[in-house]
Amino acid sequence: MTGDKTGDKTGDKPGEKSPAQPQGPARLGEAGEHPLSILLFSWMRSQLFFRGLMALLAAGGGALIAFEFILVRHSYASIDSLPGFFGVFGFVALSLAVLSGWPLGKLMRRPEDYYEKPAKRGEEAGNDR
Amino acid sequence: MTVDRLLDFAVTINPGFFVIAAALIAALAKDVATRAVALLGGPAIALVVLLYPPVAGMEVSRETFLGFDLALYRPDSLSLTFGFGFVLAAMLGGIYSLHRRDRMQDSAGLVYAGSALAAVFAGDLISLVLFAELATLASAVLVFARRTGPAYRAGLRYLAIQSIAGLALLAGAALYGIEKNTFVLAELGGLWNGVLVGVLDLSQPGAMLIFAGVGMKAAFPLVHNWLTDAYPNTTETGGVVMSPYTTTLAVYLLMRFFAGVDGLIWIGAAMTVYPVFFAVMENDLKKVLSYSTNNQIGFMVCAVGIGTPLALNGAAAHAVAHIIFKGLLFMTMGAVQLRLGTTKATELGGLHRTMPWTALACLIGAASISALPFFAGYSSKAMIMTAAETGPNLFPVWLALLFASAGVLEHSGIKIPFFAFFSHDSGKRPQEAPFNMLLAMGLSAALCLAIGFSPGWFYRLMPFRDQALEYLALDLFSTAHVIQQLELLAFAVLAFMALKWARLYPPERPGVILDVEWLWRKGAPGLISAVAWPAGAPVRVLGAATAWSIARVLVLARQVFAADGLVARKLPLSATAVWTLAILGIVTAISLFS
Repeated sequence: MTGDKTGDKTGDKPGEKSPAQPQGPARLGEAGEHPLSILLFSWMRSQLFFRGLMALLAAGGGALIAFEFILVRHSYASIDSLPGFFGVFGFVALSLAVLSGWPLGKLMRRPEDYYEKPAKRGEEAGNDR
Repeated sequence: MTVDRLLDFAVTINPGFFVIAAALIAALAKDVATRAVALLGGPAIALVVLLYPPVAGMEVSRETFLGFDLALYRPDSLSLTFGFGFVLAAMLGGIYSLHRRDRMQDSAGLVYAGSALAAVFAGDLISLVLFAELATLASAVLVFARRTGPAYRAGLRYLAIQSIAGLALLAGAALYGIEKNTFVLAELGGLWNGVLVGVLDLSQPGAMLIFAGVGMKAAFPLVHNWLTDAYPNTTETGGVVMSPYTTTLAVYLLMRFFAGVDGLIWIGAAMTVYPVFFAVMENDLKKVLSYSTNNQIGFMVCAVGIGTPLALNGAAAHAVAHIIFKGLLFMTMGAVQLRLGTTKATELGGLHRTMPWTALACLIGAASISALPFFAGYSSKAMIMTAAETGPNLFPVWLALLFASAGVLEHSGIKIPFFAFFSHDSGKRPQEAPFNMLLAMGLSAALCLAIGFSPGWFYRLMPFRDQALEYLALDLFSTAHVIQQLELLAFAVLAFMALKWARLYPPERPGVILDVEWLWRKGAPGLISAVAWPAGAPVRVLGAATAWSIARVLVLARQVFAADGLVARKLPLSATAVWTLAILGIVTAISLFS
């Protein structure tokens, strides 16, 4: 769950106010961190987490296909009853949806003020509450 | 017993009226306690009334107004399902809003919830349409309540589109009622499997108008942008209060009026698919949730079109479950908006460090909307998927729904929690959400888990209860269903991680994504200017000629009458005498010969 691992550079603008820019993976229990965050999420910052989760998902997915082959009655009459159909479909569908973001983004994304200037930060009522 | 008498009296009143009455108290409330009583008390009384419904299908309250028969309160299994969802949403929204001292939003939110609730229990076309329109007006106030320029303009656009939809509904209801000589729903159509659904005949012009109006409110394709325009422009509480009602009420109306209409299958299937692509590109996470709402409503619309008891149970179950888990996701984004003033993915990330409870709630909402087994979305969407899978000639539709299921995992299951709370560290360390917000999120998350782990109580609320319980016993947690759903989700998450690892995942970028709204926000104004320019050419030429003439006259007048002008010049005495004689001669000549 760490963008640092995947090279996501968004939001790292030099001018942005960032009181605690970490140099590399954040350490367990950094200053000011909520105890619940340390308990639930800090282990996700491990270098191995991303690869470990991928491996776990691949192994789990393989096991699910094996279970499906053994436990679920299947026929070869229709494509959706083949073991592994749902896994392959899920992988392809999500990849297709995500990869479409490249050409569609280039085609359809316009500047923030394309329709009108966005509201200034703090302009909205209620921010003071 | 006074309590019994009160209860006996209360159960004869449309529960929406209690919530609307609470709105009046909220509008006048100055202290926190009164606000809390209004925000929670009205929905709580409505909940009690729902728990003790009179005989289902009976018109409890029937009035005559201006010669029309009105059935103000007609509870049945369908209205009770939706009513239960609306009351829960009102209570959760009330708790969530307690930190914000804004009487306008409090009262508008309660009128909105109460009107929507009153509409689902209305037993005639007239009161149903009037309550639906009151709900629309109140919801527009929630957009204006952000009190920014863009929100104001978004509110006007919202109001314009909803007014067109409302007029179509009103005209359709009038035409249909006059044609059939009654406005009472029970007299317009018969029971189907014991429930009053699909009562309108779509071949009638009035029904077509109602279909168009309801379709706009359900955010059908091409008229969906009111949703993605208005919802992100609300305050942190406004989004939560708005998310459950308008579109869900439209799903209720589709069930009541048009269940089994084949066209809805394809409209619904389209609604599930195209928002996936927009949500992938979108940077504003509240807008992603709006597209996600469009996508989820598509599942329900498709199920209404399939029209079997299983499909209609699925539509109703998904409508109620969606109210809860989408409300939860809006709550988490509202908390982020309150603390940071933005919900743009490019400005967020790493917030779990200081907002872990909100992050946890978001993960539960994400798991629910992704239909992970033992979470709310699984219990509700499974019925729709099974209905599509087993329906005749619906294989392409089922494939579209399956694609949309993977898509919703991407944009609501992964993108929302990942970019807001994990992903890169934005360096921002906001305070955790206020206690009332956390409480509302906690209760919503608990409901998501309760529906997922123990769906029996939830299935008993469904309009076709026996069929729902049969599905629960035989199919919901069958080995095949659980394994196949887990397989779909596991490999979809794997695909996401593989794309991130290979740096093929499109990075979030600021900007707006063009959609159909371009037509009325840029296209139409541009077209009007382009057409108006040549049409105005003669007027512009005439104006220019007039201006030139006036300017010339002024120049000439100045030349004549200025201090050094023609008339100010000194003339010699002889010239004056000659001119005087000449004028005298002309006058004499005229008088002699006339």
